[in-house]
Amino acid sequence: MGEPHAVQPDQKVIEDLMAFGAHDFKKCFQCATCSAVCTLSNNDFAFPRKQMIAAQWGLKDKLMGDPGPWLCFYCGECSKNCPRKANPGETMMALRRYLTSAYDWTGLSRLMYSSAFWEIGILALVSAIVVALFTLPQSFGFGLLSRSGAAPLHTVMLDKFAPVGMVDMGDRIMALVLSFFLLTNAARMFYYLTRDQKIPARLYITQLPSLILHAATQKRWNGCKDSEATKNWIRHLLLVTGYVTMFTLVVVFLPWFQVNDSSIHWTSFLGYYATTVLVGATVWMLIDRIRQHGEMYQFSHLSDWLFPILLFLTAVTGIGMHLLRVNDLPMATYVMYTVHMAIAVPMLVVEVPFGKWAHLLYRPLAIYVAAVRDKAAQCSSLEVAPAGPVPA
Amino acid sequence: MDNGNLASNNGRSLLVIGGGIAGLTAALEAAEAGCSAIIIEKSPSLGGRAIAFNQYFPKLCPPTCGFEINFRRIKNNPRITVLTQAELEEITGSAGDYEATVKLSPRFVTNSCTVCGACAEACPAERPDGFNYNLSKTKAAYLPHKMAFPAQYVIDRNACKKDCSACVDACRYGAINLEQQVERKKFHVAAVVLATGWAPYDASKITNLGFGCYPNVVTNVLLERMAAVNGPTAGKILRPSDGKEPATVAFVQCAGSRDENHLPYCSSVCCSASLKHSTYIHNLYPDAQVTIFYIDTRTPGFLQDFYAKVATNGHLKMIKGKVGKVEEDPETHDLIVTAEEVLTGTKLTQKFSMVVLAAGIVPQTDGIPLKVARDQFGFAVNGTAGIFAAGCAKRPEEVSATVRDATGAALKALQCAVRSAHHG
Ligand SMILES: Cc1cc2nc3c(=O)[nH]c(=O)nc-3n(C[C@H](O)[C@H](O)[C@H](O)COP(=O)(O)OP(=O)(O)OC[C@H]3O[C@@H](n4cnc5c(N)ncnc54)[C@H](O)[C@@H]3O)c2cc1C
Ligand code: SF4
Ligand code: SF4
Repeated sequence: MGEPHAVQPDQKVIEDLMAFGAHDFKKCFQCATCSAVCTLSNNDFAFPRKQMIAAQWGLKDKLMGDPGPWLCFYCGECSKNCPRKANPGETMMALRRYLTSAYDWTGLSRLMYSSAFWEIGILALVSAIVVALFTLPQSFGFGLLSRSGAAPLHTVMLDKFAPVGMVDMGDRIMALVLSFFLLTNAARMFYYLTRDQKIPARLYITQLPSLILHAATQKRWNGCKDSEATKNWIRHLLLVTGYVTMFTLVVVFLPWFQVNDSSIHWTSFLGYYATTVLVGATVWMLIDRIRQHGEMYQFSHLSDWLFPILLFLTAVTGIGMHLLRVNDLPMATYVMYTVHMAIAVPMLVVEVPFGKWAHLLYRPLAIYVAAVRDKAAQCSSLEVAPAGPVPA
Repeated sequence: MDNGNLASNNGRSLLVIGGGIAGLTAALEAAEAGCSAIIIEKSPSLGGRAIAFNQYFPKLCPPTCGFEINFRRIKNNPRITVLTQAELEEITGSAGDYEATVKLSPRFVTNSCTVCGACAEACPAERPDGFNYNLSKTKAAYLPHKMAFPAQYVIDRNACKKDCSACVDACRYGAINLEQQVERKKFHVAAVVLATGWAPYDASKITNLGFGCYPNVVTNVLLERMAAVNGPTAGKILRPSDGKEPATVAFVQCAGSRDENHLPYCSSVCCSASLKHSTYIHNLYPDAQVTIFYIDTRTPGFLQDFYAKVATNGHLKMIKGKVGKVEEDPETHDLIVTAEEVLTGTKLTQKFSMVVLAAGIVPQTDGIPLKVARDQFGFAVNGTAGIFAAGCAKRPEEVSATVRDATGAALKALQCAVRSAHHG
């Protein structure tokens, strides 16, 4: 048990949590059924009971220093068994939203999570900028369309409409920008998770493989023992492979991926894989969410809808563009290309560092820090163990 | 005591439904104040749930203590009519002036019974023993239990073998009449006391706790019977799977109670009951490790002293944190209990040789043809003129509170009867 200290409840945090989708957490009476039934919760990180009381009291510091919410994969067993119907599973989901905004130093995340107007507004704004970049005439100073002369309308010449070199550069700038925000936010998260902790530096190195392993496989999900867990995990893993393939094609291999004319290139086959998986998985997830299938889909926040919808639209417009291009329909291809970009770019720029997608880094980071803290606790308990017999 | 033949019909009678401690108390208090009382009890003997216990908290005396005195008071009081295997069929009229029709199911054994037991010896058929919560069996001709009042055998015709009359031949007193039929009696009563008590919550509905799946998960009422000398194991608490003495026992508090998925209310007695049960175990096996997993220990009033006294036992551990899961080691039939220890914040998985679920109290107010207001959980609420609820039919409460409650209900019913006598 920790030292007794005065707790300062923070009404603002409580209101925030409610705006972020936590509805019933005030009903919790701290029975701890939830932590007991949770198969992921263990001796060192027992959750979600502790998060429930931290939420009830609005203990911001405690919450920001807690990897717990990210260790949960929302099987919903806690909510099913909670005797107060306090929905601890949904509270953990809301906490992830809340923490995403709390770790974001720009304040944009908070703005978008707590207001549908701003969320849609900012996505629309980025969209509009993308459309402008492609369509506004040169007289405005940009307008990729006419930079290399007018794109031909008798046959597809994508390079004329959107010169691959420029798009490639744009891609990389975008990747840099979003990485900058995501990494600085993650650094803040790392700071909160590790401050006040006595952790020997070497543990950060020895536990590094867990960061990579969990980022790559999300295998922790399979530790959930509900009937949907394996399905959910595999489906998510497929989605990730599709997403990573697509992201790599666009950011690293664009000069090969963006084919100029109506020919089929080897990169197209990777694209087929990625888009099939993306469309399949997002549609399946959306159906589950619409039908409220399983505990995980009982409650949906706007951010939960935008995530799969944007991904789905990106994939579908990508497919559309491919079909139009190989059928040599120039104008339609250029239009579809613009639409595709107008969806994909805001999705990445907005959702990755400031939205639900931040979990792609937050989750493995939290699992990693949890493992480090766990190891550190083991080491320190060894140190205080009595060393041999007491001299007489 | 009157057996129903002389039922007082002067308009100053009370009808008491249920012959548990609440019903007995209400009838006795009213009768000793000069009013007639008719107790109708569904089962073949009086005493309700409490008479099946091994001991009572907080004094830990056996139920014989209270019930023997009450039975004697009833026997000596001509104003009390006791009808067993009796249920209310219809009631008409209003406060001060009711006419009740009571249906009496046949007992097949008459007043001539001397409790010699020859019928049961001769009987070839068996039936599950409800008094022992079906942990054992009786013959179809049976005495409800050793202390049964009225002390008279009963025949469960549903359990009888076809065309058998072995008991009739065996009884030297001619006390058996297999031709008895359902009877109906009408009573003119001024007020009704509803004292139909409680039943244990069906613990098999709490699927995560394993009752009904794992033999060594039992409920508190089963443990009472195991601990009772007149129970199915003659007072030994043994693991159902192998008959071994348990070395470690976990109690799961609020099994079903305080749970929106089961019984949203606190059953109020199960914390004290589990503390009492730990004393049963330690009396038999002083070294047994008993752990009580609780949300809060609710032992209000004088029960707090009982808690403090029991908790001094070094082999009793109280852990704050509700059990979320009970699993079984299929080899040993030991049970693996998972909980979070709230005070230290650590998760705990521990093996026990036996698990006892502190299942809660469900009011028995269903299916009675009486217009009585009930709350959302089924507990009777006072508010209908002339009908007064008492005991666990009204709220979960221990015996001493039940007695106080029933005394109050008797007074209210008496007032109703006196008022009607003045007007009538
Ligand atoms: C596990 C456990 C242990 C307990 N241990 C203790 C203890 O140690 N000390 C203590 O003080 N309290 C204890 N209690 C509480 C105690 O059991 C109750 O206070 C007591 O039984 C209440 O008496 P009652 O008359 O209201 O109900 P009951 O005892 O249930 O009696 C009701 C009677 O009404 C009859 N009946 C029901 N429906 C009808 C009907 N429709 N028509 C006619 N008759 C009907 C029933 O057959 C029964 O005989 C314990 C409770 C539990 C759950
Ligand atoms: S199970 Fe429900 S009431 Fe119990 S601690 Fe968890 S959230 Fe709170
Ligand atoms: S008395 Fe104790 S075990 Fe029973 S419901 Fe209340 S708190 Fe739970």
